[in-house]
Amino acid sequence: MVAVVLSLAACNDFLDIQPIGKVMPQTGDEYRKLLTEAYSRVLADRGLTTFRTDELVLDDATASDDDLEFYLDIWRWQDNNPDQNTSSFGWLNHYYVSYIANSVIENRQNIIEVTDSARNQMVGEAYMLRAYIHYILVNLYADPYTHCDPATTKGIPLKLSSDVTAVLSRNTVGEVYASILSDIDMAESLLNVETWPEGETYRFNKVSADAFRARVCLYMGNWEEAYKAAVRVIERHGTLEDMTSSTTLPNDYQSVEAIVSLENIITENYNTGKISDGLVALYRSGDMRLSRFYRQQVAGVYMLRKGGNNTYRCTFRTAEFYLTAAEAAVELNDMDHAHHYLTELMKKRYNALMYSRYEPEILAMTRDELRQEIYDERFRELAFEGHRWFDLRRTTCPELTKTYNGETYVLQKDDPRYTLRIPPEAVEANPGLEAE
Amino acid sequence: MMRKIESALVLWLVGLLAVTAQTRTVTGVILDKADNLPIIGATVSVMTPQGKVATGTTTDLDGKFRLEVPAADRQLTCRFMGYTTVTLRLKDGQTDYTVYMENSSKEMDELVVTGYQQIDRRKLTSAITTVKMSDEIIGGINSIDQALAGQIAGLSSVTSSGAPGAPVKLRIRGVASMNGTQDPLWVLDGIPLEGTEIPSMEELQDIDNIYQTSIAGINPQDIESITVLKDAAATAIYGARAANGVIVITTKRGKVGKPQINFSMKLTYNPKTNIDRLNLLNSDEKVDLELGLLQSDYTYRENKGDVARILASHGLTDAYKAGGWDALTPEAQADINALRAVNTDWNDILFRDVFNQEYNVSLSGGSEKATYYSALGYYVEQGNVEGVKNDRFNLTLKTNYRINSKLKVGASVFANRRKQRSYLTYGDGFTNPVYYSRIANPYLRPFDENGDYIYDINVQHGKGDDVADFNIFEERANTSNINTTTSVMSIFDAELKLDEHFKITSQFGLQWDEGTIEKYAGEESYAMRREKLDHRYTYSDGQRTFLPDGGSNKITDSHQTQWTWKAMAEYQNRFRENHDLELMLGTEIRHNEYKSLYSAAYGYSPNTLNNTSVIFPSDNIANEFPLHTESFTENAFVSWFATGSYTLFHRYTLGGSIRFDGSDIFGVAKKYRYVPLYSVSGLWRLSEEPFMKNVTVIDNWGIRASYGLQGNIDKNTSPFLIGTYQVTTILPGHTEETIRPANAPNPDLRWEKTQNVNVGMDLSLWDNAVSLSVDYYYRKGTDLIGLRMLPLETGYTSTTINWASMENKGVEVALSTRNIHTKDFSWFTSLNFGFNDNKVLQETVAENSLTPSREGYPVGAIFAYRTAGLDEDGYLLYLTPDGQKLPAKEYFQLNSAGASSLSAEERRNQLVYVGNTEPKVSGGFTNTFKYQRLTLSVNCIFNFGMHVQTQPSYSLTTFDRGLNTNHDILNRWTPDNPNGTFPRLINSTDRPEEYSFYDNYYVLNMLDIYVKKVNYFRFQSIRLAYDLPEKWLKPIGIKSASVSLEGRDLWVIASDYHNYLDPETMGNPYATPIPKSFIFGLNVNF
Repeated sequence: MVAVVLSLAACNDFLDIQPIGKVMPQTGDEYRKLLTEAYSRVLADRGLTTFRTDELVLDDATASDDDLEFYLDIWRWQDNNPDQNTSSFGWLNHYYVSYIANSVIENRQNIIEVTDSARNQMVGEAYMLRAYIHYILVNLYADPYTHCDPATTKGIPLKLSSDVTAVLSRNTVGEVYASILSDIDMAESLLNVETWPEGETYRFNKVSADAFRARVCLYMGNWEEAYKAAVRVIERHGTLEDMTSSTTLPNDYQSVEAIVSLENIITENYNTGKISDGLVALYRSGDMRLSRFYRQQVAGVYMLRKGGNNTYRCTFRTAEFYLTAAEAAVELNDMDHAHHYLTELMKKRYNALMYSRYEPEILAMTRDELRQEIYDERFRELAFEGHRWFDLRRTTCPELTKTYNGETYVLQKDDPRYTLRIPPEAVEANPGLEAE
Repeated sequence: MMRKIESALVLWLVGLLAVTAQTRTVTGVILDKADNLPIIGATVSVMTPQGKVATGTTTDLDGKFRLEVPAADRQLTCRFMGYTTVTLRLKDGQTDYTVYMENSSKEMDELVVTGYQQIDRRKLTSAITTVKMSDEIIGGINSIDQALAGQIAGLSSVTSSGAPGAPVKLRIRGVASMNGTQDPLWVLDGIPLEGTEIPSMEELQDIDNIYQTSIAGINPQDIESITVLKDAAATAIYGARAANGVIVITTKRGKVGKPQINFSMKLTYNPKTNIDRLNLLNSDEKVDLELGLLQSDYTYRENKGDVARILASHGLTDAYKAGGWDALTPEAQADINALRAVNTDWNDILFRDVFNQEYNVSLSGGSEKATYYSALGYYVEQGNVEGVKNDRFNLTLKTNYRINSKLKVGASVFANRRKQRSYLTYGDGFTNPVYYSRIANPYLRPFDENGDYIYDINVQHGKGDDVADFNIFEERANTSNINTTTSVMSIFDAELKLDEHFKITSQFGLQWDEGTIEKYAGEESYAMRREKLDHRYTYSDGQRTFLPDGGSNKITDSHQTQWTWKAMAEYQNRFRENHDLELMLGTEIRHNEYKSLYSAAYGYSPNTLNNTSVIFPSDNIANEFPLHTESFTENAFVSWFATGSYTLFHRYTLGGSIRFDGSDIFGVAKKYRYVPLYSVSGLWRLSEEPFMKNVTVIDNWGIRASYGLQGNIDKNTSPFLIGTYQVTTILPGHTEETIRPANAPNPDLRWEKTQNVNVGMDLSLWDNAVSLSVDYYYRKGTDLIGLRMLPLETGYTSTTINWASMENKGVEVALSTRNIHTKDFSWFTSLNFGFNDNKVLQETVAENSLTPSREGYPVGAIFAYRTAGLDEDGYLLYLTPDGQKLPAKEYFQLNSAGASSLSAEERRNQLVYVGNTEPKVSGGFTNTFKYQRLTLSVNCIFNFGMHVQTQPSYSLTTFDRGLNTNHDILNRWTPDNPNGTFPRLINSTDRPEEYSFYDNYYVLNMLDIYVKKVNYFRFQSIRLAYDLPEKWLKPIGIKSASVSLEGRDLWVIASDYHNYLDPETMGNPYATPIPKSFIFGLNVNF
C-alpha cells in the first residue's frame, strides 16, 4: 500500500512538466507582458487610410511595382475589383487585441503579486485599448457618426467579453460610441501613471483618457465635451514643440508633445509615393513644417520625412488638442478661444516674421473662414498621422479626384466608399454581419 | 506461450519416460515442403487422447529427430510455428520417416502477438488480423505502410502522392475522431514508435516539405509479420493512443540452426508518366485562346501571356482589340505565329525514366543458448521528377540469449539513415515541377539558341515588371533541399520465468531520430531573387533589399528522443483440466523530448561556407526575421494496466482489460491526468463442442464478442488563457518580453468518449481450404472534440469544442480459399473487404456556420449548391427547391458589395448533400497460382462509393491567361460559343455584384458540378516468381534461389477521372502521379 502511494507520488512528480516557453498568466508581471502583447498588435490601419485621402499621390516614378500592387487600388478607391495583393484593413487582429484587453479586465481580481495601483493601471489601460479598437473599427467600417442616424445605423459588433462562444451582430453606431465613452470613463477612474519612462511611452497614461475623450467627442460633434476635454489636456500637457528652434519633429516619440506613442502610422511599408500638390500648396511661406515634415527630392516632388520608422509612433500628441479646442470653440461660437488655441499653435510653427503677418488675418476672419482655416491648419499639422481620412469623413465627405496614368478617379461627395466594406473573411465567418 | 512450456515439459518427460515403458525407436527428418530444407526445432510428440503430450522431442540442426514411442501408439504429431501441423501415421516395420511440413503462410497459426502478450489464437477474443510477410506481399515496395494496402479487411490505405518515399495514409475502421491524429499507432517489437503522424494533404502538396514518417526507416525485409489490432478488446491495452487502431510489427529473429545467409536484390524501372490525360492546351490552342480573350470583355491580367506581350511590343494592343487579326502588321502576325511553332513538352523535359535498386543481406542462426539475426539493407530511388532522390541504409542486429532455464534476455538495434534530395520551391506553388509542367505555356522554351536560360514571366503574379527571373532548370541546378534522417531504435527485453505459472517480463526501448533539413539557394536562383525582392526596405537613397549579396543556406536540425520502459507480471494456470486462467498486471513509463534548431545564413557561398551578416534596418524587422530559433517540448506518461482471461472447457473464454493512462497536462486540473479505459470480451469455440466432434468438415469455428470504452481529452485546449513567450520592440531600443495567448480557451471542454462493440466469427473448413472471418462493429463516439470556426470578432479563427456524436458501423469480411491444390498446381484466393457506414448522430452547428449540420450524414459529407446550367449570357444559374432557375444575384440575394444578405441559416439551407469523401466499400483481392516452381500472384485493391470535391478547372474571375490550362476553358460560354457548357469568364462591370461575390467568397468550389464520384479497382501488383531448381544451385553452394518479375500499378479501372492522372489524386493538382513500375527481383539463400 505504502509502495503504491509512494509510486503514485513519484509519478506525479514525473508528470509535473513545466513546458518551456508556455505560461498561464497569474502575476502582475505576467499580466503586464500580456498587455504588452496587445499593444504590439495594434494595427497601423489609421496609417493605411492615408492612401484613401488626398495626402499623397501614387505614380510610377515614386512608388515601386510592389507598392502599386499593394496600395494603388486603395488609393483610387477601387474596392470592387482590387488587385489580389492589395493590402487589407484589419478585422481579426483588432479583435484579438480586444480579446486580450477583455481577458485582463475580467481577471482583474485574479492577478497576484501586484500592487493595487499597478493592478488599476493595467485594467485602466485594458479599457483604453478596448475602446481604442472599437474607435478604429467604427470609423473604418461604419458610416460617420455625424452623417447618419447613430441610433439606427449599423456599426460594428462591440466585443465586451473574452467569451469565444458568442456570435455577435452589429451594434448601432450610437451604441458603439456610447460604449467607447463609458470605457474611457472607467479607464479614467483607474489610470494612475502620469508619465511612463522612455521606451514605455506607448502605454496609456492618465492624461490620455481626456485626450481620447476629446477626439471621440469631436467625431460625435459634441463640441462642448470635446472642448472641455481638450482644454484639460492642454492644461496638463500643453507644451508644444517649438519648430522655430527645436529640431525634434512633434510626432517623434521623444517630442515634448508626445502623450501616447503607440501607433506606427506610416510604417516602413506605407512610406511610398509623393506628397500631393494640394497639400504642399497648403503650406504658406514661413511655415517651418514644409521642409521639416517633407524632403524635396526634385523640384516639386516632396517625400515624407515624418514617418517610415518607429521613431514616429504617435497616437496622441499635444498639438491635436489645440486644434480640437479651436475647432470646438468655433462651433460653440466662442471666437476668442478659437483664435487663442489656433494662434498658440501657429506661433510654434511659423517663423516670427510670417506669423506676425498671418495673425491679424486670423483675427479678421468670419466664423466660416475661421472654421476652414482650422480645418486647413489641422491638415497641415496632422498630415500623415492617420487623421485625415477620419477628419474628411466626420466633416464634409468632400469630392476627391485622383489621376493615375492618365486615368481620372473620383470619390463623389458623400460617396458610400467613405465607409469600408467589412472584410469578406469576417462575413464568411459570421454571415450575420451582412445579413439584413 | 503455451508452446514454450510444452517444449520444456516435453524435454523433461522424454528423459523420464524413456527408461520406463515398453517402447520402440522412431527416427526421421522433417523438411520444409517448399524448399526441402530441414526444419529445426519442430516438435514431434505422442499425444494422449485428451490432447496432452505424452512424450516428445524436437528436431536438431539437420531437422532430424529420434523418439522412443510407446509400442501401443500408432501416430506422431509434428508441429512447428507457422507450419501446418502434420499427423504422422506409424507403419509396422518402418522406423525411419521423412515428414514434409507446409508453411501455413497466410496467417500465423498458433500465437498472436499483441505487443504486450502472445495470445493463443484459440483464446483470442478480439478482432485481430495478422499478415505474415512474404515475398509476394513485399514485392516491389520499399516501405511497410505500402505493403498493407489491400491486405486487411477494414484497413483502408490512400497513397498521398507518387513521390519517392511519400507516406501512405492508413485508416482502420474509418474515422473515429476529428481531433488530433487519425493515424494508427505503430509498435515495433513491443515498443510504440514516435514520429509516425502523416501531415495533412495540404502540406504534402508542397515538394518543399519532403517528409517521411519514422515508418519509412524500417526495412520490410526485416519483418516477420504484421498484426493489426482493430477492436477495443485488442487496443484497450495500448490506452488512449490506440483510438485509431494499432499496427504491431514483429521483426525476424534468428532460428536455432546452421548460419543462414540470405541475399536479395530488386531492380526497378519506372517509366515517366504520360500526362495526356490532363488534356492541356497545345501552342495553337493557347495562342488562339489568348487572342480571343484580348478581344473579349474579360480584362483580368490583360498584359499577361506572350501574345499580349508581342502586341504591346509592336504597339498594336489597341489596334488588335479594335480591328482583330487583320489590323496587325505582317511582322506582328509572324511573331505570334512563331509561338505556334514552338511546342515544348514540359512533361517530357521535366520528367524522366528511372532505374532503382535495392539490396539486402541477412545473416541468421543460433544455438540453444543464443540466436542472432543481422541484416544490412540499401535502397535508392530516383524520382520521376529529375533532381529528386531518396535512399535508405539499414542495419539490424538482433540477439536473444537463454541464460538459464529461468532467464531469457534479448537485445536488438534497428538503425537507419535516410536521405531525401529535392530542390527548393519558394512559397509560390508554381515552382513545384509537377505543377509547373501543367501551367507552363507550351509556346515557351526553357533555353535559347545559346543554351542560356529563358525566364518565364507569365507564371508569376504581379503587374509584370517587378518579377524575379524564373527558370525551372536554373532552379534545379542552383538550389537543393536535402533531408537527412538518422534513426536508432534499440530494444532490450528480459523474461524471468519463476515457475511454470508465473513469469515477469520487462522491456526497455529507446528511440533516437536525428534529422537535418538543409535548404540551399544559390545567388542565381528564383528562390533567392524572390526572397530578396520580398525583403526590401526604403532607405533614404531608395528601395532595396536588406539581405546581402550571395545565396542562402537554412538548416533545421531536429532531435527526437523517446524511451519506454514497461514491466509485466504474468500468471497462468490450468486447474482441474478444464479451467484455464491467465492474468497479467503491468506498468509503463514513457518520456519523450523534441528539440529543434533553425539557423539561416545569407550571403552564403557553398564553396567557402562563408556567410555575411544581415544588417537589419530596424529592430522590428530584426524581430520579424529571426536567423536563429529553437524549440523544446517534453512529455511524460505513466500507465497501469491489467488483463485477464478465463477459459472453460477449452471453448468458453472470457477476457477483460483495463488501463489507466496518466500524462503531463499543463493548465488542466490534476484529476484529469488519468484516463481510464476498459474492455470485456468473450469467445465461444463452437468447433470444440462435443456435439460438433463428428462434423469433420469444420476445423475451427469460433464466435467472438467484445465491448470497450475509451476516453480522450484534448491536451492543447485549456480552460484558461495560456500563452507563449515572445519578444517585441515597440519603441526604438526598448525590447520587451510579451506573453502571446495561444489557443482560445474553452472552460466547457469535456472528455471525448468512444464505445466499441465488436461481434465476429472465424470459420475454417475442409482442412483449412476455406477460412472465413466476418466481423461486425459498432463504434459510437460522444462529446467528440473537434475544431469549430469562430466569428472573427472573438479574436480567433477557430476553437476546440465538443461538437458532435457520431457512429461508425461496418462489416468486415476476410475470405481465403485454396481452390485447387495438387502436387503441381495450386490456386489460392484471398478476398477482403470492409463496409463502413459513418453517421453523425448529433452536431451543434454554430450560428455563424455556412455549412449545414451533418446530422444523419457521414462526417465526410460533401454539401454543394445546386446549379442549373447557364443563362443566356453564360452566367451560372442556381436551382431552388421549387424548381426555379435563378442567377446568383437573386439566389444569394447579393448586396452591392457582392456579399449575400441571406442569414447564415438561409445559406445553410441552400446546400444539398451530394456524397461522402470516405469509401463505402474498400478492400483487396489477391490470387496466387503455383505451377511447379512458378508462382503468379495478382494483387488488386478497390475503393467504391467515394466522392471528391475537385478544383474548378478555371476561376471565373481570376483565370490567369498567362498560364496553361486544360481543355475545359475552350468549352466555356462565349458569345461565339453560346452552347458552351462551362460558365463564362466574368468581368467586374457587367454584373458587379456577381463578380464581387465569386471573387471574394468561397463559392465556386462548392458547386455540384465540381463534385466527382470516385470508384476504382487497381491492379496493384502482378508478380511472377520462379524457384530455381536445386540441382543447378547445389554445385555453386546455394541452397535455394528464386527470381521474380513484377509490374506495379499498371492498370486501374475507375469511374470518370477525366483531366486527372489517377483517381486517387483527383482534387490535388500538385500531387506527383502514381508511377508504374517494373521490378526484377532475385533472392538467394546460402
